[in-house]
Amino acid sequence: MTAWHITRKDLQIFLKDRGSLVLLFLMPLLFILVLSGALMEIGGGEQDTRIPLPVIVLDGGQAPRALLDGVDQAGGVRIEMMEEEAAMAQLDESDISRVLVIPADFTEDFEANRQVTLRLISHPEASSEETEAVRLVIDGVASDMSLESQLIASLEQMGQMQAATDVEQPAFTTERIVGQARTQFERSRTQPLVALVERLPGRIAERREEAEDMERFAIPALTVLFVFLTAQTAAQSIYDEKKVGSFRRLLAAPISKASLLLGKMLPAFLMALIQTAVTFAFGIFGLRLIGLTPLTLGSSPLGVVLVAVAVALCTSGLGILIAAIARTESQIGGLSNVLLWAMGIVGGGIVPLFLLESFLGPVPKVVPHYWAIRAYNDLMIRGLGLADVTIEIAVLLGFSGLFFAVGLWRFEYD
Amino acid sequence: MPAILEVDGLQKKYGDFEAVKGISFSVEEGEVFGLLGPNGAGKTQTISMLTGVISPTSGTARIAGHDIDNDLDKVKKINGLVPQDLALYPTLSARANLNFFGRIYGLRGRVLKERVEDVLRIVALTERADEAVEKYSGGMKRRVNIAAGLLHQPRLLFLDEPTVGVDPQSRNHIFESVMRLNRERGMSIVYTSHYMEEVELLCDRVAIIDQGEIIALDTIKNLIAMLGGGVIHVGLPQVDDALLAQLEALPAVAEAAHVPPPTPPPLAEGEEPEAREREEVAPGEVVKILADHSQRAIVNVLSFLNDQDIALTSLEILEPNLESVFLHLTGKKLRE
Repeated sequence: MTAWHITRKDLQIFLKDRGSLVLLFLMPLLFILVLSGALMEIGGGEQDTRIPLPVIVLDGGQAPRALLDGVDQAGGVRIEMMEEEAAMAQLDESDISRVLVIPADFTEDFEANRQVTLRLISHPEASSEETEAVRLVIDGVASDMSLESQLIASLEQMGQMQAATDVEQPAFTTERIVGQARTQFERSRTQPLVALVERLPGRIAERREEAEDMERFAIPALTVLFVFLTAQTAAQSIYDEKKVGSFRRLLAAPISKASLLLGKMLPAFLMALIQTAVTFAFGIFGLRLIGLTPLTLGSSPLGVVLVAVAVALCTSGLGILIAAIARTESQIGGLSNVLLWAMGIVGGGIVPLFLLESFLGPVPKVVPHYWAIRAYNDLMIRGLGLADVTIEIAVLLGFSGLFFAVGLWRFEYD
Repeated sequence: MPAILEVDGLQKKYGDFEAVKGISFSVEEGEVFGLLGPNGAGKTQTISMLTGVISPTSGTARIAGHDIDNDLDKVKKINGLVPQDLALYPTLSARANLNFFGRIYGLRGRVLKERVEDVLRIVALTERADEAVEKYSGGMKRRVNIAAGLLHQPRLLFLDEPTVGVDPQSRNHIFESVMRLNRERGMSIVYTSHYMEEVELLCDRVAIIDQGEIIALDTIKNLIAMLGGGVIHVGLPQVDDALLAQLEALPAVAEAAHVPPPTPPPLAEGEEPEAREREEVAPGEVVKILADHSQRAIVNVLSFLNDQDIALTSLEILEPNLESVFLHLTGKKLRE
């Protein structure tokens, strides 16, 4: 409870500090606006917003053409014809996110009303939203083709049967024809001639996908970069408290050292959470208003919350660590600038991770920013679930524990 | 009167440096006790140990019967600390500062509100309580600093150099507040200062502290009595043991001792040792004469020096006050 009084007082002081408010809340939004716009241009943005769909056609008949024309006319998907070997190699190298394979006997089976299977091979970390969109388009066109084929076959069969019967006693009444049509509709729905299955290749990579999502990528990255800057605010607050002597006064009061430090840490933790919420809210609602691609929370908002909590903990721990190491105000400023900005840049706060990793190798993994950005990208851009980011959350908690342990070990109270 | 504070062999070391050298003293309930010494003497370190800010290296103390090592929580509730620094949040108002420190001491609701109003009255800042502290004068900030230490109505209040950087008007106000707290509320006070006038005005007893040691402890009257009939500093070209013995044998002279020259401060950056030597006054030494009767001693000493044909380079008659006591005991001035 006493810790909360310290937290409340620090938040009161912080709200009076307009400079810090601008740095922590307006700067990230400004960066997001500028970088999202710029990255959208780099990523292709409005030039062609259709989802690219490489297609391997192993069949020389007419049915594949009909299917692909249908997909093209449906909109939203851009067909790119590829050779099987090249397409599979690019998928393995993660240069493409998914590929549609039309089998060799597609036309023959289709015309004989035998069920055929199309394979949509998607990358494990491809945007699940985009894969689902592609699947729905192919599925829709394939269903139409199935229905058309089955109805025609059924009507032909009915015509032949009618021709063989007595004119006075027709084989098909109106009720029977309607019933037959219903049966065909149901059959085309439950047993489509063209079935679509998804298959995932083994290798993991994300270059192409991130390049396609660069404007959305900027938001989690910049959020992480700026949230970690609250560590400087926490360190500065502890230093100020020591400098004016109020820390000494608090040490003389009936309050434990643990409560004192908790009280000093909580504001940074809360500020980090609020900052994340504000920035993501801007990414979700603000970007849409100004015509940029909005962010979504993905399929696991709980995962996003847990990552935000782990990042906030990590930030608070880093604040204690900086306060413990730095001896003067200029050291806090210098150390924070070097540490937080360098870690942010190395960890993918400004340059996308897939670009960084191409020339820094595994180096980005040594900073918490990398894991935080990766977790947010997985959840909010790739649409993965909480189970897919448990390692990232665990690493962030590990960093938090390390920062707290070293910080508390080196912390001087007097 | 029972002792509210008993200090026993309190020591604080930082590596090889001994900041406080095993000091012992006690403060009676209702007493205003002074810790007088120059900057760096160990006063703040002593207070920091007694208030639980830092741990002693060895030794202990009991406050209202509670050991500062084993019963620190109770000790902290009995103590009040007004630190030397302005331990306030400048962007918050005086009232917000006081509300915060009150809550830290567990005060809530109506009691907190009443206590805040009470201490604001004591330091006469009720009317400006809602202004940000950063807009206050140095003296007003000091008064809020004191008010924050009074909120939980401590039995023992530590005032650490409370008048540093304060204008005369605020200083007088602080003195009045301290005397009222002691007289009307029976608060025991440990008052540290390097201003002997403040200690003489406020304190019943004084411990003179220098280089981490208590070198004298008594009532002001008794401390000044150490000077006997007075202390005279006589500057001479050269001093030896024979001369000191002759001076000590003169009527009305109780003691004659050689005063070692003060240690020169370290060279400033860019200062050349040769320039320092050129600036130094003509070589000479000082003899401290403790007199039974200062006027008669001066006459006798001057007469003797005249007879011996020894030139006098300086003559200083020390006033009977704590500054002279400190000079007498350490050979240094309080503010050196």
